[in-house]
Amino acid sequence: MADQPREQAPDETPGQRAAGADGTGRVTGAAGTSPPAAHVPAVPAAPAVPAVRVEGLWKRFGGQIAVAGIDLELPAGRFIGLVGPNGAGKTTTLSMITGLLRPDQGRVLVAGHDVWRDPAEVAEVKTRIGVLPEGLRLFERLSGRELLGYTGRLRGLPGAEVDKRATQLLDVLDLAGAQHKLVVDYSTGMRKKIGLAAALLHNPEVLFLDEPFEGVDPVSAQTIRGVLERYTDSGATVVFSSHVMELVESLCDWVAVMAAGRIRAQGTLAEVRGGAPSLQSAFLELVGAQGRDTGESLDWLGGSR
Amino acid sequence: MSGTDGTPARTGGVTGTGGGATGAGTSDGASGAVAAGASGAAGAAGASGAAGAAGASGAAGAAGASGAAGAAGASGAAGAAGASGAAGAAGASGARSTPSLTPVFVRLKLALLRNGLRQSSGRTAAYAVSAVFAVLVAAGQLLGLVLLRGNDHAGTVVVLLTAVLALGWAVMPLFFPGGDETLDPTRLVMLPLRPRPLVRALLVASLVGLGPLFSLCLAVGSAIAVGHGAAATAVAVLAVPLVLLICVALARAVATANVRLLTSRKGRDLAVLSGLVVAVGIQVVNFGAQRLGDAGGLSALDPAAGILRWVPPASAIGAVDSASEGAYAVAVAQLLLSAGALAALLHVWRRSLVKLMTAPDGSTLAAAEPSRKESASAAGRLGRLLPGGRTGTVMLRSLRYVWRDPKTKAAWVTSLAIGLIVPLFNALQGRGTIYFACFAAGMLGIQMYNQFGQDTSAFWMVALTISSTRDAYLELRARALALLVITLPYSAVVTVATAALLGDWHALPEALGLSFALLGAMLATGAVASARFPYSIPQDSGYKNVAPGQAGLAWISIFGGMLGAALICAPVIAVTIWLHVAGADGWTWLLFPVGTVYGALTAALGLRLAAPRTAARLPEILTAVSKG
Repeated sequence: MADQPREQAPDETPGQRAAGADGTGRVTGAAGTSPPAAHVPAVPAAPAVPAVRVEGLWKRFGGQIAVAGIDLELPAGRFIGLVGPNGAGKTTTLSMITGLLRPDQGRVLVAGHDVWRDPAEVAEVKTRIGVLPEGLRLFERLSGRELLGYTGRLRGLPGAEVDKRATQLLDVLDLAGAQHKLVVDYSTGMRKKIGLAAALLHNPEVLFLDEPFEGVDPVSAQTIRGVLERYTDSGATVVFSSHVMELVESLCDWVAVMAAGRIRAQGTLAEVRGGAPSLQSAFLELVGAQGRDTGESLDWLGGSR
Repeated sequence: MSGTDGTPARTGGVTGTGGGATGAGTSDGASGAVAAGASGAAGAAGASGAAGAAGASGAAGAAGASGAAGAAGASGAAGAAGASGAAGAAGASGARSTPSLTPVFVRLKLALLRNGLRQSSGRTAAYAVSAVFAVLVAAGQLLGLVLLRGNDHAGTVVVLLTAVLALGWAVMPLFFPGGDETLDPTRLVMLPLRPRPLVRALLVASLVGLGPLFSLCLAVGSAIAVGHGAAATAVAVLAVPLVLLICVALARAVATANVRLLTSRKGRDLAVLSGLVVAVGIQVVNFGAQRLGDAGGLSALDPAAGILRWVPPASAIGAVDSASEGAYAVAVAQLLLSAGALAALLHVWRRSLVKLMTAPDGSTLAAAEPSRKESASAAGRLGRLLPGGRTGTVMLRSLRYVWRDPKTKAAWVTSLAIGLIVPLFNALQGRGTIYFACFAAGMLGIQMYNQFGQDTSAFWMVALTISSTRDAYLELRARALALLVITLPYSAVVTVATAALLGDWHALPEALGLSFALLGAMLATGAVASARFPYSIPQDSGYKNVAPGQAGLAWISIFGGMLGAALICAPVIAVTIWLHVAGADGWTWLLFPVGTVYGALTAALGLRLAAPRTAARLPEILTAVSKG
């Protein structure tokens, strides 16, 4: 994902750099997959396999640490929010979980299958997940309908089934009127919706959405919400990233807070919120940005003109 | 367009060059002879550069494109337009009239030029080099025209040059919209400006820059070349500014009339195609110049000049010529024609400016535009013809992109055109050999290189659906098949046509065999290079075909690949040579089946080799192609 090094820039603090120096192991070669951390115990045969399990995940871009050894366990069947300020490492983390970016170290299991180990496992993962990345293009010179037809057939679905599902998705997502327009001419909201449709087409178990509501108008946002809620009601898992706390608070029942490449808290919404009045203030407290006031520096603003 | 690194163009055509302004350093992807960009006016930039018939043996050199380095470029008067400008260069006709608006705009133009320079030291250097180069070319042109004085054909040459110059100014804003920010009047909408002073100010500001300086040199040189006597001098004093003003007003009027197009997606697509115009234009100009040489010189052009001397702004230069010959009435008529044209242009410009600044802007209209109808049944039928599963799906998507994606389309059209022009034009001149027909296969084979870079970061959609070597193999094979759907019949037709023109039917089978062997080798090395050395292709520029920092990768990919392809073809070439040397001409037809089978086998082998590498490197490929 192209933007990461830049995105991560504000993250870097001296403390982190120190942590990186002694904390990370070697960078694995291009062709190999990362070895699991040596101490990782076998996954206990829990009654329900978690949707996502991340152990000791690291990613560096040059000298910058984007993701600093995070552990995560996201339960299945929930609406999960990954929240954090810009540059916290959310996109990097989601990319590594979905197999689009190779981690330096660590282990990722999606629905019990290792994303980075052997090809047979990877195939299992890829059929089970749907992804809507942020900052990556779609095949924009296809029309909306053609894009869905292309994606569905690449996923190995029969043509007739793809066309049937595409028609329904286009209808529900309010894109039927624009289905023959090229995606390059779509607005931001329409792009997010067609991307969501493409991610849902093969009925995945786990859906990963990177900033699905960014730049989306309220009407489209409501449409997307409706579809997602219906999808999780069926027992599927949605993991989405956002920096809009109100949205996360109203949508999610499970939250992971990320800042500066680390997980600061994870758990149910109530657990993470704790005693704070809102997720917003709990979050500000967690990332240590509480009470930063403008002080006297702007006292002229709004004064007598 | 700031890149100055001479990067190999995937198209084998255009490479980026400096300075946001001057033309392209072009590489004559064909014969390995660098067509050194040179003077010449139109946006397509005239090229000299001998069409070297190097690499004759037809195979090895096949597609040895050579990228022209940095600032080579032809500074076409048009291309250069208003962009880089040695400050104050053409303060020329400056701010004579003093309504306060005009100096403001001239200063704005100068500030924009200066700030463009300031962005990076590399860019500054590129600007400086291209500015010096453009000035030198302009001076050389002036000198050349002065030397032309007294020549019988001087009148023909200067009239044609002026016409081409005007044409360049007319098309420049369509293909190089980024060249001059002040060309976009929508930026001024919020300011309280009256149309008449605005037009005057914009016109004067447009006279600042390298492009106008270049044009001024050309016009002055033309006037000197044909002007004899006091009357002619008097006419010339009027004619030269007229030519300059018409050119500038023409560019402005065209830009203003099409601003809605230029600020829309379609306009940006058009701009991306400009690389193609330059690449193909150079080939055509090159060929035209050769033909002219063969046809016994400039007299062949006299009839065209006869008409053009009545078409403004060439008519202004025609007037100088007429005055020299004593045809004063004709001279006055021609001069009036040009003056009338200038008045008409200014009127049209002012009207579209007013309309533009008082009407809703393009984005509003685009949103209200009705949506496209379902693409014609042709595509549907094509879809049904293709095989099912991944193969057909990927083929259909690739073929759609050839038509719909401007960058891909430009690459294809360039390859198709050069693959056709080189063998056929050489055959027409009776100089070619049928082996040149291999160019068609070679040029199109280049399209197999950097397949995933052509997807841009949308490659993630492909990456997520490849979970085995088998998937990767199917993906690569489908892309190769999509390429073959066009390439196979095309190279066959080009080869047959070349044979027909040369009357060399005996050599047809071996030429076809060599073509197909080369094509197979290109597909094989292209597949491996796509997996091993992917790089990003910037989508917004018609010139840059490699993202910054990946030039080395692109060189390895394309030239390593071509070298590999040549080596792979070596056995077939060796057999061809051996058969000829041994005098076994009766057996050369054997090369057709041998070459075809050899090509098919190497292609299959290359795809097999590339598949596991692709499957194992998906995240790395995605990272590499997402930098554009």
